[in-house]
Amino acid sequence: MSVKIKERESEVFKIINTTNHNINHYKNYNQKKFKIMTEKIVVANKGLVRAEFAFWVGRYMDKFFDAFENKKILGNKCPKCGDVFVPPRKICGKCNIMIPFDQNWVDLPDTGTLKNYTITYYKINDRASRKVKKPQIIGMVQIDGSNTAIIYRLLDIEPEEVKIEMKVKVVWEDKTKGDPSDIKGFVKI
Amino acid sequence: MQKVGIVGFYQVKLLSDANYGRYEMIFEAVRGALDKAGLKKKDITTVISCTNDYYDGRTISNAFAVEAGGAYLADESKVEMDGAHALLYGMMRILSGNHKLAVIWAGSMASCFPYHSARLFETDPIWERPSAYVNDITAAGFQMRAYMEKYGVSVEEMAKVVVKNRRNASKNLLALEEAQNPNLTVKDVLDSEIYADPVTELMVAQPCDGIAAILLAPEKQALKITDKPVWITGVGYNQDAYYLGDKDLSESKSMRLAAKMAYEAAGITDPIKEINVAEIFEAYAHEELILKEALGFAEKGKGAFLNSEIDGELPINPSGGALGGNPPCGTGLIRIIEATKQITGEANGYQVEGVKKALATGQIGMCAQNNIVYILEGGN
Repeated sequence: MSVKIKERESEVFKIINTTNHNINHYKNYNQKKFKIMTEKIVVANKGLVRAEFAFWVGRYMDKFFDAFENKKILGNKCPKCGDVFVPPRKICGKCNIMIPFDQNWVDLPDTGTLKNYTITYYKINDRASRKVKKPQIIGMVQIDGSNTAIIYRLLDIEPEEVKIEMKVKVVWEDKTKGDPSDIKGFVKI
Repeated sequence: MQKVGIVGFYQVKLLSDANYGRYEMIFEAVRGALDKAGLKKKDITTVISCTNDYYDGRTISNAFAVEAGGAYLADESKVEMDGAHALLYGMMRILSGNHKLAVIWAGSMASCFPYHSARLFETDPIWERPSAYVNDITAAGFQMRAYMEKYGVSVEEMAKVVVKNRRNASKNLLALEEAQNPNLTVKDVLDSEIYADPVTELMVAQPCDGIAAILLAPEKQALKITDKPVWITGVGYNQDAYYLGDKDLSESKSMRLAAKMAYEAAGITDPIKEINVAEIFEAYAHEELILKEALGFAEKGKGAFLNSEIDGELPINPSGGALGGNPPCGTGLIRIIEATKQITGEANGYQVEGVKKALATGQIGMCAQNNIVYILEGGN
């Protein structure tokens, strides 16, 4: 029984790991810049059936990721309540209005405030079996000038040094690709 | 409003690795509820199932459970949230006036898939999912820290919730064996493995295998079926923002608004005095504190000061709660069953004295994004 379950688990891990493939690969593969593909592998009685999944990034997120390529962070502002969103939103949930695409963009710095954090030894995408040697410190960072927080790793810091409300700065990948992985994480400033 | 009564229920024993399939489990729960109420397949007029396609490993996963759930050639549909939400749908079917008996079943088998990894799929596929930093456990780590930081509550208070609930679970024969522990200490909880600091292994409601079922009937029918009906006198539900970074995790606004709606429906003005017992779906230890504050039982940040033992000021989760076993999709429905048992006096071993009104909650989403509250009352 237990062996059977293990087999089944490993199949599910395949699903999850393929989701975390370099999404740029799928962009090129699909010849369409806006699409990010993830694969879903379905375990059938015999062998595997592959069913690919596409998610439409949309104009707002495309513009946001384009800015990532230039190592810039863009937010957008609700014309009614004035909240600044990172990543940008099509709709302000509170006001229930569409934020027009052709205006309301806000250039934001790549600095922010740590609002919250957690420390884990597990890989999120493979929690059952794989542990990392050094704990990952995952932080919620409010980019300066925005009203929301984004979630990334905190780099080059020991757990005991982490303090809520400390100032942090983005560490960009050397070569950006226009996707969420362009931000390596945040460091204390 | 017409009264809707709970006329039967059944929960299978929770197991960490059941050696029988969900198909049999669903049958055991639904058939068990019908047998207990002295009803037959032909009495069922509508069936509401509650599972999750991802957790079941197939799409439209209610389709395969038709026969087991008593839905063969019957009016059947599915809710893909918590079992407590499925009960709301069942209640609405009864209130439509077209149905005499609704079967609601909910649950899943966590032994068949890596539950916490699968919850990565709740995150935004184009933003948070590719970097894979967020699942339910890291989200809980954020939430617990937000609560502790804002109100200066110590991690020991979270551990005390675990000690209470796992001790309560040890008296509940249907709770998960691995979760039952009458001798657990605060130190044991804090010394257990760190999952996402400050959340440790024992603070997590362990996903497990299990199915539960409830039968609902309109007032007239309910009184024919049972001499101990339990009435749903209030229900409230509310949904919070999707992104974790958009909201204050130290409190539960959605639960506060859900409770307001339920209390208004049930005519409750002073919950702590009027409600005798609460079964709260706490997927993580700190959620019991945050949710009990949102339910109006304590001031914000003061949840830990309200004695919630079985003989306390307001008993919370005498059955052990979700920390006593957490079958995905089924846990909220089990909370309602446990609240029902408290009213009918069937909570053997963990019965609270003199329960007239009970409260039960369900939730779905990271950091309990969506909450639902039921007020239950006995009496003919």
